[in-house]
Amino acid sequence: MFQVLSILALAAVLVGIAAHWVLTPANGSRCVLRGAVHAFSLLLIEQRSSLLGALKKLCYLVTAVCFVVLAITGFYPTLVKGEHISGFLMYIHATFAPIFALCMAILAVTWAGGHRFTAEDCPWMSRLLRRVTRLQVVADNRPWPCSLLLCKATFWLVMFLMLPLILSIVVSMFHILGTPWQHWTLALHRWTSLVFVLAVIIHTYLAIRIRMAS
Amino acid sequence: MKRRLIAVLVVGLVLFVSVVAAEEAAKLLGDESDGSRAQPIHLIPLFAENDKGEKGAQIDPNDEFAMPFSTRWTCGACHSYATISRGWHFNAVDSNAPAGRPGEPWLYFNSKLGVQLPLSHRSWPGTHRPERFGLTPAEFTKIFGRHMPGGGPGEVTPTDTEELAKQYTSGKLEVNCLACHNAHPGQDQGSATGYAMQVTKGNLRWAAAASSEFADVTGSVADAGPTYDPFMPDETEKKAPKVTYDRKAFDARGSVFMDIVREAPKQRCYFCHSDLTCGPNDEKTEKWCSDEDVHMTAGLTCVDCHRNGLAHDIVRGYDDEAAISGNAMAAATSCRGCHLGDENGNRPTGGRLGAPVPEHKGIPAVHFDRLTCTACHSGPFPSDQPVLAKTSRAHRLGTINVNKETRVLPHIYEPVFAKEAVIRANSTPTIGPNRMIWPAFWGTLDPNDAVVPIAMAAVTEVVGAVLKDVAPTDTGDWSELKEEQILRALKALGASGQAKAVYVAGGTLYQLDEAGMLAGRKDHPAAAPYLWPIAHSVRPAAQSLGVGKCTVCHSTNSAFFFGKVDVDSPVASVAKLTKVQYEFQKASHARTWVFAWSFIFRPWFKVVAIGSSALIGIVLLYFGLRALGAVARVLAEQNK
Repeated sequence: MFQVLSILALAAVLVGIAAHWVLTPANGSRCVLRGAVHAFSLLLIEQRSSLLGALKKLCYLVTAVCFVVLAITGFYPTLVKGEHISGFLMYIHATFAPIFALCMAILAVTWAGGHRFTAEDCPWMSRLLRRVTRLQVVADNRPWPCSLLLCKATFWLVMFLMLPLILSIVVSMFHILGTPWQHWTLALHRWTSLVFVLAVIIHTYLAIRIRMAS
Repeated sequence: MKRRLIAVLVVGLVLFVSVVAAEEAAKLLGDESDGSRAQPIHLIPLFAENDKGEKGAQIDPNDEFAMPFSTRWTCGACHSYATISRGWHFNAVDSNAPAGRPGEPWLYFNSKLGVQLPLSHRSWPGTHRPERFGLTPAEFTKIFGRHMPGGGPGEVTPTDTEELAKQYTSGKLEVNCLACHNAHPGQDQGSATGYAMQVTKGNLRWAAAASSEFADVTGSVADAGPTYDPFMPDETEKKAPKVTYDRKAFDARGSVFMDIVREAPKQRCYFCHSDLTCGPNDEKTEKWCSDEDVHMTAGLTCVDCHRNGLAHDIVRGYDDEAAISGNAMAAATSCRGCHLGDENGNRPTGGRLGAPVPEHKGIPAVHFDRLTCTACHSGPFPSDQPVLAKTSRAHRLGTINVNKETRVLPHIYEPVFAKEAVIRANSTPTIGPNRMIWPAFWGTLDPNDAVVPIAMAAVTEVVGAVLKDVAPTDTGDWSELKEEQILRALKALGASGQAKAVYVAGGTLYQLDEAGMLAGRKDHPAAAPYLWPIAHSVRPAAQSLGVGKCTVCHSTNSAFFFGKVDVDSPVASVAKLTKVQYEFQKASHARTWVFAWSFIFRPWFKVVAIGSSALIGIVLLYFGLRALGAVARVLAEQNK
């Protein structure tokens, strides 16, 4: 079931992103190749010459590389071969995992401030409150930045998912959980990683679009 | 039309009733239990077998020329002998009996001639059929019947006239019910006059009686005269077999009380199923220095797990057995069956016989897919090298004049952790502990490149002549063979008519090349070691592999993966060769080493992961609380 659902979910997200890109083009080249290069170069964000900026950029790149390696090594055996990860793929996965965890922790510290929800993000909140509660909320009909909001939301989702993603494996390494719970934590890690990957893909896409728009 | 239909129905009904009646009539008194757990009293008359192979006269202890009692006609009066004799212990020669998981073979050895050959009537890959080695069922029984409970090859009727005449004299080795079911401490399997000795002397008809506590057998068929007839008493035959019964064992009606129990005591099983593990440097060990199987010390007996009904289709206790065996308890009495139960069943079945339900805390679930239960829990705790082991059947333990040297042949090594043979299609091979033997024998290459053993008689004659100057060792170990001697022996075999003669030893197949020189092949399947899984002795949970530390197995110097396994061979030039455990697990060196080495970083992995989680958690908590505060302020302003 996991194999089928993962393939469907990933396909749906990728198709959705492709459709969104085509239907609502952002600023920049419409040529696929140029657009891809442009998008890739946007990964080199925070082009500040300070040491801190460079370190943050490096951390982000390392995180991105680790994410790609972990996603491939984690999902390839499951989605393509239909079997559990094992052998050299598992060794690579386990090698990049702690690096990824550390980098994500650094990103959490450095990016959290920039991803706070502000009042400008929340006209939708007042509309929601007016609709679902009896509170006398002042109407706020300003247009709200959907992409930015979603980008921030996926950031926090990713950070939140890091906890079960890491702890589901680390806890199983201690003499705490018996065999049924070992199966459960493995399933938790598997499903969490699926949602995590989807959230990262969406977040990265939106981040690129926002920077292209700006 | 209607009448025809009624007639068919009536005939069918009559046939059905008669079949059912026949089935009922075939069941004897002792074939079905009435449910009582009390032991029935066996105060029974004894019967011999007559010269026609039928039920003979009742045994009279006062008869000077009394015959030995026959288990077929004594026990068989109440228990279907035919059904019982198809059970696992007796059905090796039955080609229809499923072979199941490979088990311990019978090991024929000759240290001087460089022979150590696994034999079995069962189709276990890597073993050889005794008849291909030139052993008739009678010869096989004479050599190995000492540790057989009777039946099987001991009851095969030969087609050869001469062999038939011999069997008339020696009798058949019947299923010896007493070997398992006699609870009397006087049951004698291994003494100078006991069961094993009688079989070795060819007194097959007398073996069961000799094993009992109320009969004594002297003489032997081999020493009797050429005209000896066991059914025609002859006072002049002083050396012929003679059975003397203890008159006090017989009551006024000529019946004997036999202390028969359903559940065989462990002492009976131990006669054939004992083992002794030697020390790491081949030093001698004593039984009192090692512990019994933990199940025994917990109060169980062998038959609490290894159960059977009338069919004696005894549970062997391995995974997948239920798919092959007709025994209803095969699944329930495996390791998982008792300790875990049927995890997919509708009702709980684990914890049978007081078995603790293991939690296996901290052990990733993949271990239970890749390993057998016995990998962590059974056999000697692995050391740098597998050690030599002795077993009852291979080394005649429990009989007289046993060579107690540690390096006596055959050389059985344990534990060797290897991927076990797949019994059922689509099941995943798992790694478990095994005993291992490197076969050594003289054979010929057939057109399919398979090796057929040369009959021992021919080897003794031809190879024995070439190696006549080779001295046997005092310890029973190999007599060293040089390649030059092998070359001469192969040439002699070729000259005697054995085309494409080869010698297999130590994982190498030696043959003559086109130039007539000796060439060795290391990849031939006939030279591969023979392994069979072991399940005993089970160690306590506190002594299981990996208890407390993963690095017991997952380290670059662990015995489990990197232990050195001796390549046992009489050939002098390969005496020091070794293999590594992972080779038997079908794993590569690189992958095994990398994985083991990575465990150095496992503690750091945990530290980094937990630290990162803590940092992320703090960030989430901080900003979450701030967001909550902002929402609260907004709501508070709305309420003003």
